[in-house]
Amino acid sequence: MRPFAYATALSPASAPQLLGDDGRYLSGGIDLLGEMKEYIAEPKVLVDVKALPGLNQIELGDKLWTIGANVTIAELEDHDGLKQAFRGLQQAAAEVGSRQIRNVATVGGNLAQHSRCWYYRQRDVYCLKRGGDTCYAREGENKYHSLFTGNTCISPVVSNLAVALAALDAAVIVQRGGKLQRMTIAELYAKAWDNPTAHNSLDHGDLVLKVELPVQGRRSSYLQASEKAMFDWALVSCAAAGRVKGDRISQARVVLGAISNVPHLVQAANDLMEGKVLDEPLADKVAGLVLDKAQPHSGNGYKIPIARALIRRTLMQLKTSP
Amino acid sequence: MPAWPEKRRWIGSRATRLDGPVKVTGAAKYTSDVQPEGWLCGMILRSKWPKAKIRKINLDKALKVPGIKAAVLARDGERTVRYYGEELAAVAGASKQACLDALKAIEVLVTPLPFVVREEDAREEPAPRVWEESPNLSKPSVNEKGDVDKAFTECAAVVEGFYTTAVQIHHPLEPHGNTVSWNEAGVTAWSSTQGVFSVRDGLASHLQVPQNQVRVICDYMGGGFGSKFGPGVEGGLAARLSKAAGAPVKLMLTRFEQALAVGNRPSSFQKIKLGAAADGTLHAFEFENYGTAGIGSGGATAGGGSGVELHAPYIYRVPNMRVKQSAVAIDAGSARAFRAPGSPPSCYGMEAIMDELAVKLNLDPVELRIKNDPSEVRRKQYRLGAERFGWKEKYRKPGTCPGVVKTGVGCGGATWGGGGNRRARAEAQVNPDGSVEVRCGTQDLGTGTRTLIALIAADTFGLTPDQIRVEIGDTRFPYGNDSGGSTTAASVCPAAYDACTKALAELQERTGVSDARGPNWPAACKKLGVNPLVMPGQWQEGLSSSGVGGVQFAEVEVDTETGFVRVRKVTCVQDCGLVVSKLTCESQVNGGIILGIGYALYEERVMDRHTGVVLNPNFETYKLPALADMPEIDIVLLDMPERGVIGIGEPVTIPTAAAIANAVANALGVRVPSLPMTPARVLAALGKTGGPA
Repeated sequence: MRPFAYATALSPASAPQLLGDDGRYLSGGIDLLGEMKEYIAEPKVLVDVKALPGLNQIELGDKLWTIGANVTIAELEDHDGLKQAFRGLQQAAAEVGSRQIRNVATVGGNLAQHSRCWYYRQRDVYCLKRGGDTCYAREGENKYHSLFTGNTCISPVVSNLAVALAALDAAVIVQRGGKLQRMTIAELYAKAWDNPTAHNSLDHGDLVLKVELPVQGRRSSYLQASEKAMFDWALVSCAAAGRVKGDRISQARVVLGAISNVPHLVQAANDLMEGKVLDEPLADKVAGLVLDKAQPHSGNGYKIPIARALIRRTLMQLKTSP
Repeated sequence: MPAWPEKRRWIGSRATRLDGPVKVTGAAKYTSDVQPEGWLCGMILRSKWPKAKIRKINLDKALKVPGIKAAVLARDGERTVRYYGEELAAVAGASKQACLDALKAIEVLVTPLPFVVREEDAREEPAPRVWEESPNLSKPSVNEKGDVDKAFTECAAVVEGFYTTAVQIHHPLEPHGNTVSWNEAGVTAWSSTQGVFSVRDGLASHLQVPQNQVRVICDYMGGGFGSKFGPGVEGGLAARLSKAAGAPVKLMLTRFEQALAVGNRPSSFQKIKLGAAADGTLHAFEFENYGTAGIGSGGATAGGGSGVELHAPYIYRVPNMRVKQSAVAIDAGSARAFRAPGSPPSCYGMEAIMDELAVKLNLDPVELRIKNDPSEVRRKQYRLGAERFGWKEKYRKPGTCPGVVKTGVGCGGATWGGGGNRRARAEAQVNPDGSVEVRCGTQDLGTGTRTLIALIAADTFGLTPDQIRVEIGDTRFPYGNDSGGSTTAASVCPAAYDACTKALAELQERTGVSDARGPNWPAACKKLGVNPLVMPGQWQEGLSSSGVGGVQFAEVEVDTETGFVRVRKVTCVQDCGLVVSKLTCESQVNGGIILGIGYALYEERVMDRHTGVVLNPNFETYKLPALADMPEIDIVLLDMPERGVIGIGEPVTIPTAAAIANAVANALGVRVPSLPMTPARVLAALGKTGGPA
C-alpha cells in the first residue's frame, strides 16, 4: 500500500474539494482497501465520507423510500419493513459477502465497487481494465465472466444491490459538479458497457448520496447461484419484480447480474409479461428473450442454464407475498 | 513387553483439550505473535515472471529506504527462475510498510523466457521445457502383473473411466514463517513447523552453524498439512537477514505467497479400466496416470512423499494389472507432502471405477466392496457404517431420484500406516510438592499432543490432567520426531508413558511407598526431599502399531438446474487402535472430512496459460468450505485398545471426496469426472453447457 493522506468530509459540498486530483472516497472500505493493498489503486488522499450528515438512514415515505449511501448492508438485511416492502432487495443484501463484511460495507460502496475479475485483481497483470491492451479472460480463464458486453472487457458487474434495485426501478442520487443528479440504475452503469476501463458511470469526484425506491405495490425477489452455500460471489444473480393480481403479472422486471458489465435487462422480455398469467411457460419465454444474444466464452456457457433457472425461480417467488 | 494400563480413567475419555482456553482467548503465542526485543519485519521479493534468466539484482536502493536494516539475495549470481513467485531477495526493516517500499525499490534485470503452466500443454512437444535437459513428461514407470490383455477378455463386465483431480493448496490458516535471532550466542528460531528438529538441522546446515547452537521453538502452530517441514527458503532468508541486521527478524508469508511457493497436492489425470467376473470378483485392471508436481517433487517427503504417483489399484487386489504413471513438469511451485500424500486422488479414481462396475453388474456398491476388500477391518466397517447410515433405505439406482434437486449416496474406503517412531523420547519430572512436568521436543500441529501426554501421565500417576504440566515444541527437550505420516501420537504416547511408568517405579523405590498413585501421591512425593525426580523415557514396542482402515458414506443433494452440490451427511467409521483422547480424535476426523469436502467441491489452483500467474491466490477465489457448507458428520471410532496407539490424522481425509463423488454420480445417473465438482462441471456432465437459450 502507498502512503496516503486522510481527510474527513463534514459536508457533501466539501468532499470533492478534499479529494483533489487523485483521491478516493472512503466509506466501508471493503472494496477500496483491497485494491490499495494490491497496488491496483494508489490514491494520494482518502476522503472519509462516513461522517456526512443524514446518509446513514433509511427513510420510509408514502411514495418513496430513501436509503442513505452510508447505510450498511447489514442494516438493509435486518430491516423488517424492507423485508415486507422490498423483499428482493433484502434478499440481495443478505447474500453480500459474509456477515462481518455486511456489518461494514455500505450501500454506496456496494453500488460503486470495482470489478472482481481475477485478472484485474492480480497485482502483476495489467489487463485492459487496468489500462493495458488485452482482456486476458477472453482467451483465458473465464468461468466467472460475462455473457454480454458492449466492449472487449468481459468482467461482469457484481453488485447484488444493483440487480435488485434495477428491478425495483430505483434511482441513485449522485452529487456531480456541485449539483445533484438523479440516475437510474441503468444510467449508473451505462459507461461500463462501452468503456473497458470503467466500472460504472461515476466520474472522479462524483459522490453517491442516496438511493430512492419508489413505493409501487410490487412484489420482488432475488436469488443467486454460487459455488458455495455462503460467503461467495454470484455466478449468476437474478432479481424480479412485478405487481401480481390473481394469477396475472404486470409492471414486471427481470434483471440479471454477474453476466454482463451492466445489470442485464431486456425490455422486450419485460413487455412480454404485461398482463400475462404468471407461470413456468411464461418464465421460460422470458428467459429465452433475456438470454437471446448471450455470447458464451470457453468456460462460462454453463451460466446460461443457471440464468434460465433463476429467472424461473425468481418469477415464481413473486406468486407468494413476503 | 509394556502394556497400557487396564484401568483407564483419563485415556479414552472425553476430557477437554488442555490448551483450549489459551487458544480461544488468544493467550497462546503462535510464531506470528512472538516479539523478541528489537525485532524487525522481513519480506520476500518474488519473481513476477513465470520463467526468466535473472541477470542482476540491485539491492542498493532498497537499503536506502528509511527503516530498512538489511537486504539479501535469495541466491548469488545469474540464475533461472522457473515459476511465478520464486524467491529473489528479501529485506528486513522497522515496519511492514518500509519492507513493502523496499521491495518496490529493488531493481531486477531479467530476460523473460517461454513458460508453460498447464499439464495438457506441457506434455505436448514442442512445449517450452521447464528443465532444459529433459522433456517435461517423464518416462512412465510401469508395474505389470499377470496377463492383463487376456484377462480383460475373460471378464463378464469391463468399465472404463477418465478422472481428473486439481492441484490443491495446503493453505494452513497460520502461514509459513519464522522469527529468527542469529547472533554470537547462536541461532534461536520460533517456527511455525511440523518438525522443530527438522528446522534446527536445516538451519544448521544452511547457515553452517553447529546443531547445538541452533534452538527451535514452536509452542503453538496453526496447521501445516505436510507443507511445514524444515526451515524453507523463507527460514533461511530470515536467519541471514537477522545476522545482517543484527536484530531478530520475523518473516511470515502472506496468503498470496502461500498460493505460490510452499507446496501443493499434485494433480492427476487417471485413465482407468477395470474388469470383473459376474459375481463382482475383480479380475483385470489397467491404469494410466499423469499429473504435475510443478517444477519438481518438492523437498519435503515426510509422510509418504509428494510425487505424482498414485497407489493403484489402491486398497484392492487385482490378479492381472498394468499400471503406467508419469509426471509432467510445469512452471509452478513444487508439490509437497499433503495430508495422506497420493491417497485421496487414488481413492477417488479407484472408488469411482468400482461404482461404475457395480452399476454395470447390477450389484449394490457396498456389497461389491465387501466382496473385494482384502481388509477384514474395513469389511466390518462397511457393514457397521451401512447400518448406521441407512444405506439400504437410501440407496437407489443411479439417476432415479425424481425432481430437480436429486439426492444420492456413495461410499469409499481407505488405508493408512500411522505407526510410531522408535527414536521418540520424553522425560517426566516429579517435584517434591507433587506437581508433575512431562517434556518432549515434539510440536503440536494443533491435534492435541499436550492433551494426550497429560491424559497418559494422569492415568499413570492416578492424578488429574490439570496436575500435569506438559512442555513440548523445543529442541532443548528430549527428541520428538517430525509430525508427518500420522506418527506423532503413536511416537509420543509410548515415550511419555515409558517416562511416567519409570518415574513412578523410581519414586516408589526411592521412597519405599509401595503404591504412590492417587491418594498416596502427595505423601510419597514429599519424601523426595528437595530434589525432583527426573526420568527419561523412550518409545517402546507393544504400545503402538500401524495400519488402519476406514470407510465413509456420503449423502448429497444436487440441484440439476444450477449444478450446486450440497453434502447432507457424512458417516465415518474409522479404526485408530487405542483412542487416547476421544474429543481431539473426533476433532481430527471432522477436520479430515472438511478438507475432503473442499477437495471434492471447491479447491483448485487456477493458473493462467498466457501470463503464467496463479489467478486465485486468496480465499475469495481459492474456495474453502465454510460453516454453511458443512454436513452432519457422524463419527464411529472403532476402539481397539489391544492394538495400541495409531495415528488418525491422514486416513480420515482420504475417502471423503471419493464418497461424495460417488454420491453425486448416484444422484445424477452420470458421473462428474473431475474434482472439484463445481456447478460448471456438474452442468457439463448433465449436458447443460449453454447452447442457445
